[in-house]
Amino acid sequence: MSEHRIDLTVNGHRHSARVEARTGLGEFLRDTLGYTGTHLACEHGVCGACTVLVDGVAMRSCLMLAVQADGAELTTVEGLAAPDGTLHPVQQALKDNFGLQCGFCTPGVAMTLAAVTRDHEGPGLEEALTKAMSGHLCRCTGYQGIRRAIRQLAGASA
Amino acid sequence: MKPAPFDYVRPSSVEEACRVLAEAGGGATVIAGGQTLMPLLALRMSQPFVLVDINGIAALKGVTRVEGGIRVGPATRQADALRDATLARHLPVFVTALGHVGHYQTRNRGTVGGSIALGEPAAEMPATAVALGARVEIASVRGTRTVPADEFYLGPYMTVLEPDELVTGVVYPDWPDGHLVLFREVAQRPGDFALVGLVGALVLEGGTVSRAGIGWFGMGPTPIRARQVEAALVGTALDRIDPQTMARLAIADTAPFDDHHASAEYRRTVGARIFARALAETLDLRSAA
Amino acid sequence: MNIEAKMDVGGIGAARYVGTRQPRKEDGRLLTGRGQFTDDVRVPGMLHVAYVRSAVARGRIVSIDLDAAREMPGVQAIYTQADLAAVPVSFQTFFFTPVEAPVTLLADGRVACVGDPIAMVVADSRALAEDAASLVEVTIEEEAPVVTIADARTGALVHPERDDNIAAEMGDEDTRLAIQPLLDASAHVVTTRVRHQRIAQSPMEGRACLASPEGTNEMTVWLGCQSPHLAARWIALVLGMPTEAIRVIAKDVGGGFGLKNIPWKEEMAVIAAAKLMRCPLKWIEDRFEALTASSHARDQDVTLSVGFDADARLTAAWCDYACNNGAWPMGEDANIAVHMFMWPCYKLPAYGFVTRGWYTNTMGLGAYRGPWAMESLVRETLLDKAARRIGVDPVELRRRNLIYLPDQPHTSTLGIPVEDITPGECLEKLVANVDFPAFRREQAEARKEGRYLGIGVATYIEPTGAAGSMAPMTGETVHLRIEPTGKVVAMLSTHSQGHGTATTMAQVIAEQLGVPYEDVAVYEGDSAIGAFSPGAAGSRQGVIAGGATWKAAQLLAEKIKVVAAHLSNASVETITIDGGMVHVAGAPEMSRPLREIAEIAYGEPGRLPPGLATGLEAQYRYQPPPMTMTSAAHCCMVEVDAETGFVRILRWISSKDCGTVINPGVVEGQIAGGLAQAIGQVLLEDMPYDARGNPLAATFKDYMLPTIFDVPDFEYLHASTPSQTIGGMRGVGEGGCIIGPPTLVNAIADALSPFGEIDELVLPLTPARILDVIEQRDVSGTRASEVVPVAEVTAPVEAAPVAQVSGIDGDWNMVLKTPMGPQAMVAHFDCDGDAVSGWLEAPEGRQAFAGGVLSGNQLKFEMKVEKPMKITLKYDLTFDGQTVSGKCKMGMFGSAKVTGERG
Repeated sequence: MSEHRIDLTVNGHRHSARVEARTGLGEFLRDTLGYTGTHLACEHGVCGACTVLVDGVAMRSCLMLAVQADGAELTTVEGLAAPDGTLHPVQQALKDNFGLQCGFCTPGVAMTLAAVTRDHEGPGLEEALTKAMSGHLCRCTGYQGIRRAIRQLAGASA
Repeated sequence: MKPAPFDYVRPSSVEEACRVLAEAGGGATVIAGGQTLMPLLALRMSQPFVLVDINGIAALKGVTRVEGGIRVGPATRQADALRDATLARHLPVFVTALGHVGHYQTRNRGTVGGSIALGEPAAEMPATAVALGARVEIASVRGTRTVPADEFYLGPYMTVLEPDELVTGVVYPDWPDGHLVLFREVAQRPGDFALVGLVGALVLEGGTVSRAGIGWFGMGPTPIRARQVEAALVGTALDRIDPQTMARLAIADTAPFDDHHASAEYRRTVGARIFARALAETLDLRSAA
Repeated sequence: MNIEAKMDVGGIGAARYVGTRQPRKEDGRLLTGRGQFTDDVRVPGMLHVAYVRSAVARGRIVSIDLDAAREMPGVQAIYTQADLAAVPVSFQTFFFTPVEAPVTLLADGRVACVGDPIAMVVADSRALAEDAASLVEVTIEEEAPVVTIADARTGALVHPERDDNIAAEMGDEDTRLAIQPLLDASAHVVTTRVRHQRIAQSPMEGRACLASPEGTNEMTVWLGCQSPHLAARWIALVLGMPTEAIRVIAKDVGGGFGLKNIPWKEEMAVIAAAKLMRCPLKWIEDRFEALTASSHARDQDVTLSVGFDADARLTAAWCDYACNNGAWPMGEDANIAVHMFMWPCYKLPAYGFVTRGWYTNTMGLGAYRGPWAMESLVRETLLDKAARRIGVDPVELRRRNLIYLPDQPHTSTLGIPVEDITPGECLEKLVANVDFPAFRREQAEARKEGRYLGIGVATYIEPTGAAGSMAPMTGETVHLRIEPTGKVVAMLSTHSQGHGTATTMAQVIAEQLGVPYEDVAVYEGDSAIGAFSPGAAGSRQGVIAGGATWKAAQLLAEKIKVVAAHLSNASVETITIDGGMVHVAGAPEMSRPLREIAEIAYGEPGRLPPGLATGLEAQYRYQPPPMTMTSAAHCCMVEVDAETGFVRILRWISSKDCGTVINPGVVEGQIAGGLAQAIGQVLLEDMPYDARGNPLAATFKDYMLPTIFDVPDFEYLHASTPSQTIGGMRGVGEGGCIIGPPTLVNAIADALSPFGEIDELVLPLTPARILDVIEQRDVSGTRASEVVPVAEVTAPVEAAPVAQVSGIDGDWNMVLKTPMGPQAMVAHFDCDGDAVSGWLEAPEGRQAFAGGVLSGNQLKFEMKVEKPMKITLKYDLTFDGQTVSGKCKMGMFGSAKVTGERG
């Protein structure tokens, strides 16, 4: 059972910690660093609630070890809004369209939509966002508001 | 759902990785993208003593042209392979199949080699390797060897890999530019493992099939190469191909099973249909199923 | 998509909030990662819990070896039932009645299902606790398990100390004698059988509990629940502690859907262990546990026969219902509500049923969104089948039989009164807005091309906002005040697991008070705030808490006006409040912000009208009518791929009457969420068990929840007939999950009709099962193996030889098995020859009877009761020495078992 020292940044804040090899990244973010906005809902890589950005790329934090994030720059849902509190367009779109109910899956959904919105070039953003949503489970909304939020985001960028 | 304890090492070369694997005496497991391994660890279905992380080995990443084919480094992220110009141009069937693997988020981390080495029988990448006649390059402290993909798989999640061995590359033989892509997958939700799926490539020369490589996934304990139908297709003129007959031949090589998502009979029935339809559409046959 | 939104809104302020899509108050924190779910809470000294669970379905525990686990560093304690027995518990149902199965915190000598908790490990971290749990060695002498309802009928006893595997039973086989001739005389009789799969409710946040002992006999519990108040009362009752000793906090909860109505074994074991250890303990259910060891739902096998006359009008119906209760149901349940609510929206002259819950060696039964939803599924799918059989359009068949407004008041054959339901009107609205003939033309064209389209319709009503007839189902209190700052604070016992109650309640308050929505803060989620209510249970919060806030805000507005009138030397009638400003008619210069009035009300009591209480506060507890009905008609269109058996949903239109709509965004969200779960039930979700009692869907790969690609864009028609409640709301939380399944099944059946009928509806309708119908053969491999129901042959009861009765005079301790759980009572009989009088005494009081007749050892007597509704109870008891058994006919509820012994 090896322990490792890791250094990483989360939402622009530098952190150093010692982690057990087996500690998952999501668990580490929540329990060691206190970024409890990242939710672990299945811990086996299906539901998507724990999605964070690792060096800008959307990944499931339950499918990575904390030790593997050594040296990485992470963004969690806490880092999505502007420093002055202005919601990220993805957060605003979800809010405008009743895109969440219980809010447990929401942090992961927001991170995926933010990454795709940022990376997508050219037409077809609505389709790209919808396809990326196949990696998220939401039990409350029936995805209606999320789909409307996607249309709002795609419309805004068109 | 927390993994059992293990040690973690992150070698920077293949040699170092092989040494660690050898020293672990069978207690080591290789992690690349971890998109399937991490759930197995979390459920404690896999309990290695040492986890060998190959993400730091540059030699295991990337797509290169090699003599007679294209070599894909096993630690190449699926998302990177999807964007790779060489694969897009010369091996579109690979890209088509890869696009059905998992989800956006898992493709960002998951690797091509991870999917191939794991040997899930209903997954796209193992069947693609089998269909296209890929060779799996393997290294250990004992040396290197190359195994044809259709000899690599022994059963569900079981391969010929010895505990001290590491997949170092997957080489897909050249398929002529302009080869036709045969791909169908029936899955209940996007990103799910297939209830039944087929992947393959066909080459046409002067109205006759000159080369065929076809594989099934979700149709048996391993990915299955449809050799009977390949043999029947090669050398046959398009106007003499009956999709239904070919579908029956294609099914003849499969060994599907019942699980709580679908019965073997469903897999056979629908497998034959999607085969006939895919073949007819790919070859633009008039007698479409 | 909103086809038409017509609101009937009242309100006194100029700004209208009720009926508008106000952004949700909850979203700010939830979108930014600042929510507070139970696992987000950390308490100093907190330890973590993992359970050792049974890997076998049934057997005797031979030994539990804890030695290796105890030696592990980081392990603080390991408990078995022998240890936790130090904390006495008596499990209760949601209705605050005793659970009959011998539920203990951990397995007590036997295991009764896979996943049964056997030991509890407490360690410094969850990972360490799991490490230690894996070292606990349990030896179990395995026995052949009872897995299915069929097993339960013939197999070994799940609970050896009980007489049979019947967990609960209502209804009366004798009624069949009256129903059968009516069916026999009908022009058409249609029978259908539905086998509903087992469902895992699957809230995205699993169960969660953090119990923190404070002082000697106090405890704060952070709990994933649907009502902190109900949970606190329940926990106190189960532990025998004073209610005020338990404080339950649940600020954010990631979905409940009925599963979190009450805590169960694991949460209670955490609380008990925290009491023993005197330190805070946290248990966060992981997904493996959530799928395999949380209470499940549905798992029913139902047969319904319905007669129709030559004009397709209903003549009579008979239903045989069975439900797998598992080993440890959260209350034994024969689901009487299925029968109560099957027919009140139709003109059906005669109905009879038998209904039973069966114990098996599987995970126990819990509640799930619309627990009685089977009534709509079996009825509406049967009606469509009948329409095809008789050759009548499904809409027309419903028109001939539905209750419309002019038909009311109406009382169903089982005695359910309805006076303002609108299923017919919802259907007409649906038909007016959806071009059915155009779809039929498209369908005919498509069939020529080998494409199979289908359209399905369903109608239903749903009881919502129940209050006053069952112990936990109460009214709601709101505590409302305007702070000296002029801002408004409401303290409520509502609870949102996604419902958005802080939003909707603030809308009602803002409108009725005349203040900006942004100025209203709603506090909930803590049993220390507000008064008792069951929170989210039975589609009630919008109805009842909505009424409470509506009225409280009006009361507070009146007070503001009195103060303002006094200060302005004006009459109360001239005062209006709007946008947080208080105006005097005709004197715009006298307008002043509410804040000024508030400052005076709190800080300058001398300026208030004489005798008026200082401050600006109002409290109101609203007791609504006993039940408020919601109605709807839905329509869905599908395409079935005849090659693969896959179903694609093309359109789905909801025509729903939930009265006053406070926030269309929230209401539509509730409908959509329920419909998505309905789609999951019909097409995807399944928690199968193998013959050894192993649950087979242990991950979200295998338990398939609908994704964004499985759910279409829903379209909404809001009918909005105000109810009799303050504000006119009707409940909306469960409806989608009730009407959704038959709507979708009917559409699929319509698409499949060229091939044949779905003889027996086995859910989920997997692609393979759909091919079964298309190809009329066993593609799915499940038809042949399916257990053919054993016809319930009830042998005529031999007249028992009349035993020598040594007098029945005196007291008897009896238990009546009511639909809400067993009811203990003392019966006293006085005999005068064959004439018997006496009384029955329950905690609610004593009631006398007379006119009983004793013949041999059999006593019959009648008693009229007022609660839960006016019914006549007809007792038929047989005495055998020191014991008594028999039944009590409870009017619409059918018959309930009575057992007892001499007191």
